[in-house]
Amino acid sequence: MGLELAPVKVQSGFLLPSIHSWPAFFTYQPNPRTFSTQREHWTTLILTYARFARIWELKVGDVDDAASGGVWGEVLHNPRLKPPRTIGRKMLQILLEQLIEEERALPDPPKQSSSVILCWRTIPEWAGILHDWAVTTGQTNTILTLFEISNPQVPSDLSGMPEPLLRRAIALLQKTGKAQVIEGADGGGVRFFP
Amino acid sequence: MHRLGGAGIGGLQRQTQATQAYKPLSSAISRSQIDSLQQQLATFREALTRFAREHRNDIRRNPEFRQQFQQMCAAIGVDPLAGPRKGGWWAELIGYGDWTYELAIQIVEICVNTRDINGGLIEMDEVLRMVRRLRALGEDDGSEAISEEDIVRSVHTLSVLGAGYQIVTVGHRKMLRIVPQELDTDQAAVLEVAQEAGGQVNEGLLVLRKKWTVERARTALENMLMRDGLCWIDDQAEEGIVYWVPSVMIWAEE
Repeated sequence: MGLELAPVKVQSGFLLPSIHSWPAFFTYQPNPRTFSTQREHWTTLILTYARFARIWELKVGDVDDAASGGVWGEVLHNPRLKPPRTIGRKMLQILLEQLIEEERALPDPPKQSSSVILCWRTIPEWAGILHDWAVTTGQTNTILTLFEISNPQVPSDLSGMPEPLLRRAIALLQKTGKAQVIEGADGGGVRFFP
Repeated sequence: MHRLGGAGIGGLQRQTQATQAYKPLSSAISRSQIDSLQQQLATFREALTRFAREHRNDIRRNPEFRQQFQQMCAAIGVDPLAGPRKGGWWAELIGYGDWTYELAIQIVEICVNTRDINGGLIEMDEVLRMVRRLRALGEDDGSEAISEEDIVRSVHTLSVLGAGYQIVTVGHRKMLRIVPQELDTDQAAVLEVAQEAGGQVNEGLLVLRKKWTVERARTALENMLMRDGLCWIDDQAEEGIVYWVPSVMIWAEE
């Protein structure tokens, strides 16, 4: 019988899928059909982990400290394999490009693809959460700064949300008349409508 | 010349007369044969119906009994899977056809779901495990058990779909193959070596175990990787480049 591949619960409490114990998962697969499966498993894993651990950013450079306790170590590296495996930079680069294309990541800074903000919820989902938050906390029709939204006194789902992602969610609400962006010094603000 | 049958006009006339004389006799015999056959058939049918009624549950639950039932049917030339048009009463009484088709559908489901990872090749044990999982059965759940023969028979029913499902033997193990093209002997040899080595294989191992040239080993691996998608490449192993065969691994439940 071959090796048994099972899900593994890591220190953070996250449950890694069986395929993470598959040594070849960490090497770029040259067969296009195999690769599309591999890519799908990787992007799902990355987004699920980001949401679990509330990590907003992922860069190709995260590969470098994956083996030495970096924030992405539990996912990009598997020390239980002999020898341990780490995802290749080329592979991670392709995954980031794919995530950007699917609008599950925003390039940050813009116009490159080796450093991104992850949309572990889609932008329309974030827009919905943002609007619900404004309504349930009674903050409609008042001007809020972006800082107030991502650093609320009572922690919310929006705590720590990077500004580019927040702006995209607000832009979507503005289109449907649920928010109004107010330009100004210090980054301006936003007014939500019920 | 000596003519036994009496060729010529006279001989022909004699033959015609004889044939005509036999006709009424022969049809009388046929009628009685048909009557008797119909009677036998009715008895047989009654017996089978009783058998089906009595053993319906055994056939569905007990793999050994099912196997023997299958052998009995084959011996008497009855197809228990015959559809409604050819003797559906049999399948209906036992529910055996439905049972086999249900299993076939589950096998297709398993093959389709795992194909992207394993390239369309899956071990029989893995199929059995996954069917049990689909049916939420325990490892040693005696009732409703599924055996290897059941899988083989269900796969056989799939052949009418022309879907290219076939059972191949690699080493000492049965595997289910879903891709239309046949496994060539080199691929089978690679799979066998990978099975023995816990799922991984490389050029050196093939040269050592199969006495192949490096070129032959390289070509076989390259084909399995690029053409068939039957293995994945790994460039971080101790031995350098190795290939992993997903179909010989056990994939635990997520």
